[in-house]
This record gives sequence, C-alpha cells and structure tokens, in this order.
Amino acid sequence: MPSSASARQASNALIFLGPAILLLFALLVVPIVVDLVVAFTDMAQTVTIGEFTTRQFDKLVRPSKDAWFGFELRGSFYRALSLTAIYVFCTLTIFNITFGLILALTTTALSDRLGAFFRAVWLLPRMSPSVVYGLLWIWVVDPTERGLLNQVLINVFGMEPINMMLDHPMVLIVMANGFIGASIGMLILTSAIRSIPKHLFHAARADGAGPMAITWHIVLPALRWPLSYITVFQTLSLLVSFEYIFLIMGASRSTMTMAMLAYTKTLAPDIGSGQYAYGAAITLILIVIGMATAMFMWRMSNMKALLAKPKIEVQ
Amino acid sequence: MTFRSLIAAGLAAATLTGAASPAFAEEITLTLWSRADRSGPLRAGNIVEAAKTLNQMLAASGSDKSVKVELIETNAKGFDADALDVLKAHSVGDTPDIIVAAHEWIGSFVKAGLAANLEEHIAANPSLYDDIIPALWNAVSYKGARYGVPQDGEVRMFFLNNDMLRKAGKSEEFIASLPAKVNAGEFTMADMCTLAAEVKDAGASELGLVHRPNVGPDFQMAMAAFGIDMYNDEEARLQVSKSGLEKYYGWLKTCVDQGAIPADMTSYSWDSVHAAFRGEKAMAKFHGIWNLGAQLEAFGIDPLDKDAYFKKITWINAPAGEKGGTPKNLSHPIVYVVGDTPNKDLAAMLVALASQHVPNTRHAVTTNHTPINYGQMAMPAFQKEGWGLVAGVPLLEYAEFMPNHPRVGQYNAITFQGVQAVETGEMTVDEAVEMVLEELETELGEDVIILD
Repeated sequence: MPSSASARQASNALIFLGPAILLLFALLVVPIVVDLVVAFTDMAQTVTIGEFTTRQFDKLVRPSKDAWFGFELRGSFYRALSLTAIYVFCTLTIFNITFGLILALTTTALSDRLGAFFRAVWLLPRMSPSVVYGLLWIWVVDPTERGLLNQVLINVFGMEPINMMLDHPMVLIVMANGFIGASIGMLILTSAIRSIPKHLFHAARADGAGPMAITWHIVLPALRWPLSYITVFQTLSLLVSFEYIFLIMGASRSTMTMAMLAYTKTLAPDIGSGQYAYGAAITLILIVIGMATAMFMWRMSNMKALLAKPKIEVQ
Repeated sequence: MTFRSLIAAGLAAATLTGAASPAFAEEITLTLWSRADRSGPLRAGNIVEAAKTLNQMLAASGSDKSVKVELIETNAKGFDADALDVLKAHSVGDTPDIIVAAHEWIGSFVKAGLAANLEEHIAANPSLYDDIIPALWNAVSYKGARYGVPQDGEVRMFFLNNDMLRKAGKSEEFIASLPAKVNAGEFTMADMCTLAAEVKDAGASELGLVHRPNVGPDFQMAMAAFGIDMYNDEEARLQVSKSGLEKYYGWLKTCVDQGAIPADMTSYSWDSVHAAFRGEKAMAKFHGIWNLGAQLEAFGIDPLDKDAYFKKITWINAPAGEKGGTPKNLSHPIVYVVGDTPNKDLAAMLVALASQHVPNTRHAVTTNHTPINYGQMAMPAFQKEGWGLVAGVPLLEYAEFMPNHPRVGQYNAITFQGVQAVETGEMTVDEAVEMVLEELETELGEDVIILD
C-alpha cells in the first residue's frame, strides 16, 4: 500500500536522520541563536540581561569620517583580526597543507613498515593530551638555558639563548598548532595516495618516469579533492582554535587572536573576564567570518563537484 | 482483628513513628562556597567549626534544630574566576548561604542580588563584632552599607634579599635605613629599579625585581605611588589619570630598559615568579606577607627565628613615585559574604562565630595573614608564631583597599594590558597610555572618569 510505504519511508528518515539532525540542532543551531541574542544584550558578570543594545559592537568599531563605511576598527579588534589572519594563513599553508603533503609523499615512498613508523611519530602530538602537549612546548621554548631549544642552540650551534615567547610569539603558536595540524593532512593524503591504482605507477615507471614526474603527473592530480577538503576544513577549525595558544602563551597580547579575545573576555580565568555579551559579539563576528570564508572556499575549490552524485553507478 | 492484621498494624505504626521521628529534630543545611586555596584552608574550616559551636548552643537551649554545613569547594584558579562562578550559580537559583570571596566583588554581588545586607545583624550583635579593626569594614561596604564580614587582612610589600645587597657592596647601614627612607619619600620607585639593576649588574643576582605575572591587586600599589587614585568616592565611579599612567608606564619602561624587570615578566608562571625569589635568583619581589611561610622554608630559617629572617630579608612599602611623596601599600582582605537566602540569619551567626578571636587567629597565624580583631595581637599564638604579622602591621599605615566597584576587575585587566605592552616592548609609553585610555573608555563607559 502506498500510504504504508510512505509512512515507512518517513519513519526510516526519522530513524536515520533524526539523531544527526538533533545533534546538529543542539550543538550548532542553538549555540548560534544563543550567541546572536546575547551579543545584542548587556549581559556581564551578573549573568542577567538588563537591556537589548548594540553597545557591544561599539566596542569593536568607532565612527570615522575618513573611513570607507563611516567607521573604522578599534585598535584591539583590528589587531585581533590581523593576528587571526596571520595565524590561520601561516599554520594552514606551511604546516597543514605543505608539511602534511610532504609527510604523506615521503612516508608512502618508504617501505610500509618504516612509513607507518614515521606516521605514528607524527601522530603523537595529536594523541597526547593538550595540556601535556602545551607543557612540553613551554619546556622546549623556556627562555633560560633549561629549555630544549636553547640547549640545542647553545650546545650544538654555540649560539645565544633565545626567547621565543617574547620575541617570536606568532612563530611559536604557528609551530605548536602546525605540528598537530600536519598529522590530519598526512593521514588524509596518505590514504588518498594509497587509493591510486597501482598499475598507474607501474605503467609510468615502464615509460621511464622518475619519482618527480610520478609525483607531479600521477600523485598530485589525485590529491586535488583531499587538498581542497583539508584547506576548507582546517581554515574553519583554525579560525576558532585557541586551546594551544592559551596553554602556551596565556592571555598574552602578542597572540590575542579573535578566538582568544572572545575567550579572555568571557570565560578565561583572572583576566577581566565575565563580559558575556561582549564575548558573544566577538564570536558572532567570527561566525560571520567563518561562514563567508567557507562559502568563498566552496566556490573557489568547486567543492560542489566533489559532493555531486556520481555520474556512473558502481555495482 | 486477626493475629496477622495485628502484626501488620504494629509494623505500620512502627514504620510511621520511625519515619516521623527525624522530623522533630530539624537539620538545617547551609551551603558554604569556598575555593580550595592553600593560602587559607581555615576560611572554610572555621565556618564548619562554628557550626559545631552553634549546635552545642542549640542543644543546650533544648532546641531540636541543628545546623549542617555543606561545603562547596571549587577549584577555580583565582578569586576572580571563583566570583564569576558563584554569580553563575546564583543566576540559576543556586545561591550559597555563605561565600568566601575577595572583597572587591561585593559590588557585583550586591548588584546581582546575591549578598545580604548585614547592617542590622552587625548592629544587633555588638559583643561579637565591636573589636574588629574599623578600617577593615571599608572593605565590605558598598554604597554606605556593609555586605560582608572581613575574614582576614594582609599587607603587601617589596621583599629585598639583603644577602645580595651585601654581595653587591651595600653596607649594613644602607640596608637598615631603607624602610625609613622609603617611608620618608627619599627612596623612590625609580631608585628601587636602579638598585635592582645595580645588584644584578654587579653579578650578585641573576634577576632584579620580579612582580606578579598576571592581573591583580599589587599593581594598584604601584599605580597609587604614581598618583593614580582609582576610585572617586563621591560619584562611586572608577577613575584614572593620564599623567599618572604616563609616569607609571614610564617607570616600568625604565625598569625593563635598565634590566631590573625582565621584559617577559608577564609570561612567567606563578611558580617561576616564586622560584625566582625563593631560589635566590631575583634580588626583589613585589608581593604580600603570606609569602613569609614559604620563604622561611625555602631559606631554611627556623619559623620562630625572627632575627635570622630579617637579617636576610628587608620589607619596604611601595616607594613613592617622586621624591618627597608618600609610599603606598595595599590590603586586600578576603571576606565572608552572606547570601540573600532564607537561611541568611543563621548563616550570619555562623560567620559571627567564625570571626571570633580564637578561630580567626588559628587561620591568621598558620597562613600569615593579619588579624581582623584588635585583641588577637595580644594572644600568645600571635606573640610567638605571628612575629611576622606583628612586624607587618606598621606597613598598614599606608594601606589602601581596592574599590568595591563591580567593574574593578575589568579596570585592572585593561591597565595590565598596558603593563604587558610596555614591558614586552610592543608599545611605547605614549602608545600604551593611549591604548589603555581608549579601552577603559569603550569598555567601562560611564563607570570610569578619565582625568588629565
């Protein structure tokens, strides 16, 4: 009977999609709506809403006659935006993509066992608890001669000790996040390289192609989609990541990205937090930036084609 | 009635009386909110003890009521984070009956409807409160009424390592004359850094002067020394002066340039700050009297040997900003706040009992905090073990308190941004002043007065 068939279809849809939709709603839609509402209030330490206002956004921009849209960004906000851009761009391009790709290429070129060993080593940072990883970095870059980096510089290269936290804070957080981020790229790209049919390599070798030519003409074209995916996914996750920045640098001005700014204004301990509406306003802007970036990248990388229905059906 | 129904009736009656009997002896549970803090475990412990005393009194009066204290011990990183947590709990209806808090949060607590007004309670129990040092009441007052009871007092200072001064060639007379010179306004903040740099350059210490690495009350002393009066009492608004900030940040800049203060001081952990002074790497440290215990231990000095301690360490107030000015100090009392709950009268009585001489001295002497009652100083425990506290009391002459303004935490966080920007060399003094004033104006708006 058609009615029972459609009822079954509906119940199947509910069973299969229901949990996912519920999770999506509770973990994504609800927080965004709450954030949207709180951003337009005066909620602070007392966790009460006195009035609805756009005052929080006035803290981020100020009117200016010379500026394009009649307002300009305030110092701390402008700084947070620039630091976020530098942080996301450098971590993504240097580590998550380039380094991830190099790792995937080199470890797949090695014998299976050796490749697996190196991949396991590169997965260690991701597997260790964040606090432990943060502490290890703090020890590595300790400005005294106790720090691992300085021990190497002094004993191996005979150089003066350096203070990364003070002199190169952005390099530090890009590296700390990059060493973790590279492993995701490595895993995805490795599996993509593994899925390239073996006969293509054999044929190429038979035709006299060297390792560089094989990489360029066979491997890289096969990695286009995984690379696009990594770029979009990692950009979005880096935009909102602050965990390692906070663990290593604390609430330092030199690494105050947008996500860090939102965290220090709301929940971070002992640095004038508790300004929930202000933090929500910053987060709201971050959400808008994230959405715009995602859409732009979606368009640029033609991700739609990747997710389109296959033109042939493999039985 | 059959035998079986008789048994059933008997059982039912026994069950009923059994169940009903506890209802006659009413146990009232009071919640006590306190963060787990090594610097004062008896802040909560004394309330628990007070409940025992109160229960003895209730039992003696033939009352069936008894009080039980349920301790909510939090692991917040500091008093600010803890105060935000208690405000969150209050906002969802879980208001604790008693809260151990840093006094400057009283403004926020009153605004949130969390703190009970204790004026009537204090007036009705003069024999329990009349010995409290009057100045301490300022710390719990908000808009003319008292919303808490001071739990302890403290005094902050620059600790100077005499051994390093000697090693750098300073005479005993010079070292002994420092506290008096500071109090007379002859030895200034600038001199402090010059001295620290001199000792460091002479190779007598690895570091000069260390201060706290994060936002906190110590900086208020330094700001006050440069003429910044943080609070306008009449208007009940925070305030800052541009010229004061210029001098204050200018001082920090000079200190860093001289090598007296490490440029990355604000990225130290608390442990490394403590280790710098206690491990005899830094000549001076800017902090508070409760460090005494840990210092005695680190330097291997007998806790009862006052002379050995002062042979090694000198205490001075924050020197004046300019020659001829007055030195500054800051007392940052921790207080008991009574929640505005149905149990507030009972909770206030527990606070009153915990604030008496014997329990308070037990806390003060074991954790190196100054007393809240005048009479405590005469107690044998104070005379014997509390020599450091007795020695700290003269510094209190110059003490001020943090303003009880709901947004003082934000004010401190913003002025600290300037400290970090100047020390790390990210900004010049003028840029930092401009940034801090702009941030204060935008974030605090009407709540801050900006003077020239």
